[in-house]
Amino acid sequence: MSLLEIEDLTVTYGTDDVRVHAVNGVSFDVEKGVNYGLAGESGSGKSTAAEAILGLLPGNGRVDGGSVRFKGQDLLELSAEERRDVLWEEIAYIPQSAMDALDPVMTCGAQIRQAIQKHRNVTDAKARERIRELFDIVGLDPDRINEYPHEFSGGMRQRVTIAMALALEPDLIVADEPTTGLDVVVQDKIIDQILDIQERIDSSLLLITHEIGVIAETCDELSILYGGTVMEQGSVDNVLVNPTHPYTMGLKNSFPEVEQLSDDPVAIPGSPPSLGAPPTGCVFADRCPFETEECTAETPPTVDLPNRNHRSACHHTEQAAQMRRDAADPETWGVDPSDEDASATSDEEILRVDDLQKWYTTSQPLLDQLRGEDPPKVKAVDGVSFSLHHSEILGVAGESGCGKSTLGETVAMLEEPTGGDIVFDGKSVEEYKRGGMKEFRRNAQIIFQDPFDSLNPRQTVRQLVTEPLRIHGIAEDRQEEKAAETLERVGLTPAEEFLDDYPHELSGGQRQRVAIARALVLDPDFLVCDEPASMLDVSLKVNLLNLLRDLADESDIGIIYISHDLASLSQVSDRLAIMYLGRIVELGETARIVDDPKHPYTSALLSAAPEKDPTSDRERVLLDGEPPDPVDIPNGCAFAPRCPEASAECRETEPTLDEAGDDAHSAACYFPVDGTSHDTGESGSLSSTTADD
Amino acid sequence: MSQFQRFLAKRIAIAAGLTLVAVSVIFFTLRLLPGSPFTQLVASGNLSEQQVNDIMALYGLNQPLLDQYVIYLKNLVTFQFGYSIRQSRPVWEILGPKLFNTLILLVPALVTTAVLSTLLGMYAGWNRGSWLETGSIVTTTFLRSTPVFITALLVIIVFSYNLELFPAFGMREITASPSGFTDTYLSLDFAYHYILPFTVAVLYYSGDFLLLARNGIIEKKGSEFLKLHRAKGLTETEQLMRAGRNSLLPVLTYFALRLGMIFQGLILLEVVFGWPGIGRQLVTSISQQDFPVVQAAVFLMALAVIVMNLVADVMSAYFDPSVSAGGGS
Amino acid sequence: MSTESADSIRTRARSTVDWLVSHVQFVTTDTPALAGFTILVGFVFLGLFGPVIAPYDPIRASVQNAQGTILRLHPPTLRAPFGTTAYGKDVFSQFLAGARPTLIVGLVGGVATGGIGFLVGLVSGYFGGWVDETLMRLTDLTFSLPFMPMALLLLTFIQPNIWIITLIIAAFLWKMPARVIRSEVLSASERTFVKSARASGAGHLRTMFVHVAPNVLPIAFLYTAYGVAWSIAAQASLAFLGFGDPTTTSWGRMLRQVFASGSIRVAWWWVIPPALGIAAVTTSVFLVGRAYEEVINPEIDDQ
Repeated sequence: MSLLEIEDLTVTYGTDDVRVHAVNGVSFDVEKGVNYGLAGESGSGKSTAAEAILGLLPGNGRVDGGSVRFKGQDLLELSAEERRDVLWEEIAYIPQSAMDALDPVMTCGAQIRQAIQKHRNVTDAKARERIRELFDIVGLDPDRINEYPHEFSGGMRQRVTIAMALALEPDLIVADEPTTGLDVVVQDKIIDQILDIQERIDSSLLLITHEIGVIAETCDELSILYGGTVMEQGSVDNVLVNPTHPYTMGLKNSFPEVEQLSDDPVAIPGSPPSLGAPPTGCVFADRCPFETEECTAETPPTVDLPNRNHRSACHHTEQAAQMRRDAADPETWGVDPSDEDASATSDEEILRVDDLQKWYTTSQPLLDQLRGEDPPKVKAVDGVSFSLHHSEILGVAGESGCGKSTLGETVAMLEEPTGGDIVFDGKSVEEYKRGGMKEFRRNAQIIFQDPFDSLNPRQTVRQLVTEPLRIHGIAEDRQEEKAAETLERVGLTPAEEFLDDYPHELSGGQRQRVAIARALVLDPDFLVCDEPASMLDVSLKVNLLNLLRDLADESDIGIIYISHDLASLSQVSDRLAIMYLGRIVELGETARIVDDPKHPYTSALLSAAPEKDPTSDRERVLLDGEPPDPVDIPNGCAFAPRCPEASAECRETEPTLDEAGDDAHSAACYFPVDGTSHDTGESGSLSSTTADD
Repeated sequence: MSQFQRFLAKRIAIAAGLTLVAVSVIFFTLRLLPGSPFTQLVASGNLSEQQVNDIMALYGLNQPLLDQYVIYLKNLVTFQFGYSIRQSRPVWEILGPKLFNTLILLVPALVTTAVLSTLLGMYAGWNRGSWLETGSIVTTTFLRSTPVFITALLVIIVFSYNLELFPAFGMREITASPSGFTDTYLSLDFAYHYILPFTVAVLYYSGDFLLLARNGIIEKKGSEFLKLHRAKGLTETEQLMRAGRNSLLPVLTYFALRLGMIFQGLILLEVVFGWPGIGRQLVTSISQQDFPVVQAAVFLMALAVIVMNLVADVMSAYFDPSVSAGGGS
Repeated sequence: MSTESADSIRTRARSTVDWLVSHVQFVTTDTPALAGFTILVGFVFLGLFGPVIAPYDPIRASVQNAQGTILRLHPPTLRAPFGTTAYGKDVFSQFLAGARPTLIVGLVGGVATGGIGFLVGLVSGYFGGWVDETLMRLTDLTFSLPFMPMALLLLTFIQPNIWIITLIIAAFLWKMPARVIRSEVLSASERTFVKSARASGAGHLRTMFVHVAPNVLPIAFLYTAYGVAWSIAAQASLAFLGFGDPTTTSWGRMLRQVFASGSIRVAWWWVIPPALGIAAVTTSVFLVGRAYEEVINPEIDDQ
């Protein structure tokens, strides 16, 4: 008997009239002590399945069929009271958004104590002792148990929820996207923590995530969900190394990876199914390049593949090997392979940033003001210099709070710089500010992170895309034509179909394209992209990256691409700039930085990115602590407090970018990392650790 | 100075400034409007020359406007409200007991409704879509949006004139002449007169608390932290209590604001029930053009609102652990 | 070119209609709101045609019986379906005539309240800084000055008429929408598309009115509706205290007469029509408003 047996689980949402069929007959088993991954893009039903298992479906959700047997007992048949006894005592839960998952008006310790005392008769003192112990286990300061959630950072809050899940040593932990929204370095640490703890208490783990890489590294078995249906399941080694389902192949190919600069990720065209009715036939059929009549006519059963722990729901599994070969070719998916060599960066400079500063003043006591003391400054951007050429994509990478977004908004002149200079197209911004701002705005555009919020919901696509033309009085007689042209250029064809739509009628990927069209309609020379893909599913993300690459190559635009996601950055950028606390710590050609990082921070960032190949063995480099408060940055190298290499010199004087390397690749470090590749273990001098931190 | 103290200091300064502006507005409204009451009074010829001179001296009426203003401010700061023109008694002697009558009616009513309506609202929000939710919303919307004098009239018609259960007017029997506090406020006669206006006040105030609590619960109901509470095995009631605790702050803040408004009395309620409170006194004084009384009463009302506004602001900053007292970063 | 613009006008018209429909549809799905909406339609009809269909002149004509004696404080009969007042006037006719001033004060007061509040909130929230500080202290001031006493004071000096009363009401009530709209504007201004508009070179006026304003407009509508109800309640209260327009018959004035004349002990027929009239209209506005609020407030919208 398995610990958890899900059989033919069916869940629907909505009103009596309109029901969304979110989960359609999903079955899988989780054995004792096993890590089980549930993977899929948004809308695949993975979180709904988890909620159904835990009995946490929202009011309009309903389990329509199937069973959830835990230790042989069907959880769905328990009364509310019986279920409450099972929850946490035997099945604990690590929620998705740690930022909002803790009760804001209850101390963290009290919330854990509540979980303990709800199920066990424990005195307050005993519980307190246990909480201190738990805090210690998850790497939090036990003296902070009486603090409120808002006093902790996102990563630390997630640790609190992990401590909570651990409190009663349950047999099963369900973790729903435990690392979404966290920085890659923190994410790596949290995953490490969960694995370590789960080993310690010998529980099973059901990990729900959209990141195949995370599953590849942590799980033994997995199911891949699409449209509420299992596409493929089995042992991670089998499924991810030799996928037999076209969807798995597509998903795997669309994942950008730091390592493989040579093969462009390939996107799956089309969009996920609407699930307004229970699916007939294969849900993936309409996006599948190998689709046949059989696929739409009949739902493929999940069949066992011979001789291994591997099941697949495809009519064509016998041709898996051939499909795998075809799937690697972009043309199979209807994507034109882009000409790699067209990306000749021009020598002409479009932007030069010199010692740029953006400091924010924080409020200070009146008395200090009277004494004439300088108010404390948040140095969001502190002395950044770089240049950008036509047709070049410069990737700016860093964790949240490193100042990369402020940098983007400052070079786009949405924020006034407090120091340094920006030279755009040969003219200093000071000159633009004396009356030429409109000219600057016309030639420099910015695209923002959130496609759901970057378009005015009350304007149609036509109004959205022609507005910049109206503002600048350009092409007055042919604005509409120009808008349609630009929409088609970003892949919204035919444009007429979109012109009268409102943003809410478009999908996330389409909205982001409209946002890009809005920026491009003025034919700018320079584009800042601030995390434009961070809220998109992986296949859409790839589309967007390819689009930007084409724009840079064909339209001579210089692009600054800001992201925390090193894998996508390294796919799209010609050069990379790594930021830490308002400074660029390493700058150079993408290939050289990826292959041979000089700065210990870059090295740590690179090693934190998970890999989708379960057979590769990645060395974790776990950084100590979290970035310090940008108000009081230490003297010397800002990274020194977390750097395993730091010496007295590092703590005293700050290294500049010309400390190490050459013109094509430089790093601000006195002791650059030596070695050719960071994942061979030769980066050795860095403290490689798996557990404590 | 801590951040909270700084915030407090700023708020107090703003409140003080507001009070100054408010009393100035009252002063100039009374002096600058055409047919100013003081001149009217003096011109009416009802007073002897001696009386006129006394009044002129007390309020500095024979001095330039600016000097009058300064005298007025000085009097306010020392809480010297002067003498009633009509009753020739110190203003405070008139207003004090009336204010007390208002507070003894409205403070218990507000507390009662705050507790009951909030609980009912929380329950209604938790059971969204139930008949109880719809019913309680429609009822309290009716009670809150209908002018209070209409509710009061309807209640009087039903309970006083038709069912003849309770008296319709006043705070005691006309024949009663109680002496001392106990006799006045702890007698059966008082309770008998108290019930109807008290009930109407409770009903009138109920809507805001109910909706505030209900909306708060509905907002919290889909929240991630409640989901985690549910996953921990908390019962429905325990979850509701957590959701309630998390939506309590707006209710508390609103309670403080309402408490400030109570000093204005419920003028129309007091008029209909003949309750001798500050609101009814104000209407009487306005129609009698007894301006020292009006001036003092309006000042007290404004002050109460400003002070309770301050309390509400400080309370939100103090009790909300997730908002820094600086009002943002 | 001309066909194109005609097309675009047509689409715009269509989208405006769609928008309106989508914003009015909520009434049909919410029973209390539907009831309220029906009552309001009836009320507007009374306001427009009430004085015309009134069988008697509400003030001048007295109701007489067949013998020619004036019927005073007479319960409802065929001649006077709502009974008569202490002065022998027809309550039904007064009720019909009284709807119009109620409607005028309600509409004008509501629109003025919503309009001023919207502009103040928009400017205050959009520009922030000292503009915001000044305007918000101004709203604090109108909060601290008690409305009813100040209105009574002003009305003792100024001969009340319907427009003065409306003006005073709007002058005290705009603070409510102003505060709410300001906080909505603050959060709307934080949204990415506003930043994006600035990045494409839009000026302050354009950003404020094209990008921020439309997104807080529903709230402004809501508060305009509430403003209507507040104005009606305030006007009725003033009239009840004897500070109404003495030349017109309004529901509030009817209640004052019945209360002041002491007839309230017996003449329930004189109380019920104006009392229920006011209560029904104000409650209806709020019921419709609440339902609309549920539609536009994503936080209390269905999950």
